[in-house]
Amino acid sequence: MSAPVRPLTLLIAALGGEGGGVLTGWIVDAAGALGFPVQSTSIPGVAQRTGATTYYIEILPAPWSELGERRPVLSLVPGAGDIDVMVASELLEAGRAVAGGFVTPERTTLIASTHRILAMTEKMAGGDGQFDIGRLLKAVEEHAQSHVLFDMEDTARQSGSVISAVMLGAIAGAGRLPIPPEAFATAIRTEGKAVDANLRGFAAGLAAVRRGSELTQPAAWEKRRQPARATLVQLERQAIEVMPRAAIEIILEGLRRLAAYQDLAYARLYLDRLAPIRDADLGAAAGGRLLRETARHLAVRMSFEDVIRVAQAKTDPARLARIRADMRPAADEPLAIFDFFKPGIEELCSILPPFLARPILAVAARRGWLGKVYWGMEVRSNAVGGFLRLKLLAKLRRWRRFTHRFAEEQTAIEAWLALVIATAKLSTDLALEVADCARLIKGYGATHARGVANYRKIETRIIRPALSGSYALPVAIDAVAAARTAALADPEGDRLEQTLAEIERRAPRRAAAE
Amino acid sequence: MERSFKKEIEALKLGDGEVFRGEGILAVTKALLQSGVSYVGGYQGAPVSHLLDVLVEAEDIIGGLGVHLETCTNEASAAAMLGASINYPLRGAVTWKSIVGTNVASDALSNLASPGVMGGALIIVGEDYGEGASVIQERSHAFAMKSSIWLLDPRPDLPVIVRLVEKGFELSEASHAPVMMELRIRACHVSGAFIAKDNRRAAQSHLDPIAVPARFNYDRLAHPPATFAQEMRKIGERLPAAQAFIHAHALNEHFAGDLADIGIIVQGGLYNSVLRALERLGLADAYGATRVPLYVLNVVYPLVPEEVTRFCAGKTAVLVVEEGYPDYIEQQVNVLLRRADLQTRVLGKGALPEVGEYTGEVLLAGVASFLADSHPAGLDLAPVAAAAERVAALKQAAAGAVGELPARPPTFCTGCPERPVFSALKLMQREIGPTHISADIGCHSFATFAPFAMGNSILGYGMSLASAAGVGPNLATRPIAVMGDGGFWHNGIITGVASNLFNQGDGVLVIMQNGYTSATGQQFMPSSSTTRNGAAPGMSIEATLRAMGVRWLRKVRTYGVAAMLKTLKEAMQTAERGLKVIIADGECQLARQRRVRAEDAGKLARGERVVTVRYGVDDEICTGDHSCIRLSGCPSLTVKPNPDPLRTDPVASVIESCVGCGLCGEVAHAAVLCPSFYRAEVIRNPSRWDRALDRIRRPVIAALGGAEIAA
Repeated sequence: MSAPVRPLTLLIAALGGEGGGVLTGWIVDAAGALGFPVQSTSIPGVAQRTGATTYYIEILPAPWSELGERRPVLSLVPGAGDIDVMVASELLEAGRAVAGGFVTPERTTLIASTHRILAMTEKMAGGDGQFDIGRLLKAVEEHAQSHVLFDMEDTARQSGSVISAVMLGAIAGAGRLPIPPEAFATAIRTEGKAVDANLRGFAAGLAAVRRGSELTQPAAWEKRRQPARATLVQLERQAIEVMPRAAIEIILEGLRRLAAYQDLAYARLYLDRLAPIRDADLGAAAGGRLLRETARHLAVRMSFEDVIRVAQAKTDPARLARIRADMRPAADEPLAIFDFFKPGIEELCSILPPFLARPILAVAARRGWLGKVYWGMEVRSNAVGGFLRLKLLAKLRRWRRFTHRFAEEQTAIEAWLALVIATAKLSTDLALEVADCARLIKGYGATHARGVANYRKIETRIIRPALSGSYALPVAIDAVAAARTAALADPEGDRLEQTLAEIERRAPRRAAAE
Repeated sequence: MERSFKKEIEALKLGDGEVFRGEGILAVTKALLQSGVSYVGGYQGAPVSHLLDVLVEAEDIIGGLGVHLETCTNEASAAAMLGASINYPLRGAVTWKSIVGTNVASDALSNLASPGVMGGALIIVGEDYGEGASVIQERSHAFAMKSSIWLLDPRPDLPVIVRLVEKGFELSEASHAPVMMELRIRACHVSGAFIAKDNRRAAQSHLDPIAVPARFNYDRLAHPPATFAQEMRKIGERLPAAQAFIHAHALNEHFAGDLADIGIIVQGGLYNSVLRALERLGLADAYGATRVPLYVLNVVYPLVPEEVTRFCAGKTAVLVVEEGYPDYIEQQVNVLLRRADLQTRVLGKGALPEVGEYTGEVLLAGVASFLADSHPAGLDLAPVAAAAERVAALKQAAAGAVGELPARPPTFCTGCPERPVFSALKLMQREIGPTHISADIGCHSFATFAPFAMGNSILGYGMSLASAAGVGPNLATRPIAVMGDGGFWHNGIITGVASNLFNQGDGVLVIMQNGYTSATGQQFMPSSSTTRNGAAPGMSIEATLRAMGVRWLRKVRTYGVAAMLKTLKEAMQTAERGLKVIIADGECQLARQRRVRAEDAGKLARGERVVTVRYGVDDEICTGDHSCIRLSGCPSLTVKPNPDPLRTDPVASVIESCVGCGLCGEVAHAAVLCPSFYRAEVIRNPSRWDRALDRIRRPVIAALGGAEIAA
């Protein structure tokens, strides 16, 4: 017979430590055992250390026996537009393969896992820095001639195996190589390491392909809703009457959250605080958007994380159940949970009444104790002693109303709401941006302080000037959004400062309107 | 060591006619044994680490062959080993990663090349160039030329590589010059097969020692006036001898093609890529049949003038495919043609990019433009141009397909003992302001990536302290030098510590003591707590530093972030002048896990008590600010969707790969981040007492409202 014109090319993109080398070995062994000329190369280097790396394989789809004198010359380097099978152990890496030109409609079968292992820059953003999965899936779909896409990490876990074995199964299932599944299984056996587990993963991967994988967005994450409570029925009915449908779901959630966090009266305060926002929303014909977003942020801000809230959460039975489910101890295996606390003077004062807290904080500030003096403790929160201590703290809930922190937070919240209402008079979009700035205020200790400071910067340098007409509306809207994004992307860094400076440089303030 | 080579070792035992299957660098190793080497040395580093790693595990084989193996402390000591071949008919080979290793070795190499050798001396360098490379992009070619060391660049095909290793020794002996073989990253890791020969036991080795030491012979010293005669001999005798040998044994290859009025001169290592480019342009097939004549240089230095001129004679134009800069070969070809008064045009850099890796697309475009330019008779250029444009267009479209993707550089492993040090450094900088950090080579150089993004300079392996010598005196605050224990023994001890002490320098040195040269695959080194044969080398960094006269010396467990932070601040702020050394102590987690997992598995099997530890984040308490991630960057610490229906920003989450090193808890604590981290411990095979206690605890907590149901 006439020898094949070109070898089949297979490029594997994996992360260090995922067994890409082993996978490559299996494929080379399987092809070799069938008498096909085969060659693999890789560029491990230090990429083994969880970095992205690739393995490249070429197989001539005709056994040596049929080649006679001829010896194929196989390439060591993958060529753009020249890949028959592109395998990626993770979705972003599949995207990287597309960007590299290794996935083409003319030729490429793309086999990729749909799970995400986030890159550092995606994880470290203060807000949500994750790359758009939809965009990745779209690119992958558009560029591949055919594709096999499913969550191989999950399949590996389910089958008690590793992702490299599942990938091999997927490759076998895709059937682009002249290698029958049995040959791959044999390769696993000959290699001889963790044979059973690897065969399980291989079978699972093969089955997944044969089942035919539907390309789907990852399932929406289970949201943990507050349980309804009898004491709230009255208030909830009232809310349903006075609040537009567009926002009611969020508002009900907020009511339940705040009743649990503090009490019925506090929940009522939440509803009262939303009334003017509702009116502003109506006035601006925002169709409930402004109300919904503000209601969401308001509920979070009103249930601010103080020592008491933390104690409540740590002693919540549901929490212990979650950890148990996560650690999966056997019935007779004891589970110990240790929590780390490090209250400082601020935390202490936060649960004292203002008339005590203020002087203490003043002194501490003068003596430079703030951010220096802490009481570090490690509490075993599911042993009797530790649990009791936390439970007692949680019991301070009733006392919260009289604490320094409570007073501080209420003032800040009122000020923020006032800003939302004021800006709503100018533009819904501006008001929405201002409302969303609440996202900046989160975390504990230094992180929280930084968040508050960043919020203040945006308030004084963009929002207030905008209100006094110093910025044109469109400019102001973009400016708030840009500044918030910068502060979230790099909370400790100076990106916010740069952005603000840039804004002030580009949009010289107009003379105040009135 | 990171990986075991049991299978590969078997392959090293193969004899006449048996088929060796394996990767390029192991084929080289086998070829060394087939060539009857008496000694082998080197310093590990990708892509050539496996050569040494496999031999270290193959003690029994090489012992039987009388091969002496040294895992040297740096490339200079490896290169100096070749001195044995100056006075004795001993074959020896050394290996390292180039360019960096060759830089370190260069003094010894010059002093080896000048007197020349009696026994074959082979230097195997991993040319760490292009994708996957971890060092500066320079060519080893320059060293070969300046020292008159012959340079092999074999076609990446195992039989060719093996033949060139064997011929390399003969070439070295025939011309009395050392020979260097450069293997690119992919060539070192390329899989393939070749027909093996029996391993050869060296005529003379520690099994049959040379009875009498060499007589004094001044000509064998790299010392004036001998050096002047040696320089003449290099050019007058060794060079012609080498060229004669290369030609006589047809080390370079010529592949004919019907487009006779043009040709391509290519480095052996790039042959496959060039052929693929021709194939995709419709000018070659998958079996090496080409329409464009090829002259493949398996020996890139020296060139053989008559071979070059014979290839170029009668051609209107040739393309020189030579990766990297400067274009030494292209220049030499031009000179040779000029001398031979041949008018053949020489294209190279220009048709091809001057710098950067010659990937498939680059060569495809380069060859296409060469063809368009030289327009050989009997070639329809249209389809060629079309093919080239297709690929170019594809490349362009692809780039825009998904936009800017987040990079994914290597990083510290989960539980790495070096990460906490940088967490502490980051916290320190928040407190006392920015500091100059001179970085070094090793896993710790991953701190130059997010989330730490630290390091003002990298001057080479073990050079961090030395590279701070000129900074300190000119900076208001003390510079901090970070160095690994590998780097310390490689040369940091002399170029850094000794020099600093001798000059009464100031400054701070942090030494990462993880017990191995981890970045290259956890090889043992002088201060490892053990070695393959179990015996500890017994060299202590701490004792060494004290003996050298370091007074301010602290040893801190790396995972203790608070303690590390305190120590760093003290080192930065103390009025005491002089070098301050902090030994950051913590075993490489990869190595530790390999050990501990096995131990725990054993204990579990034997029914013994084992406590498994994992850290977690309370997603109800985490507010999604991710400051913990910005201070840790642990692969096991990631984010997940927020379970709170009122929040959108993802929350932190610890995934199953957590090894319970405790850093996240330590950081949360030291940085006063938040109370959402917890440590969960499960007692496997609990003792009676564990169970009893548990049986009492759970109902009580349930009664208190914790709802922990009794077992």
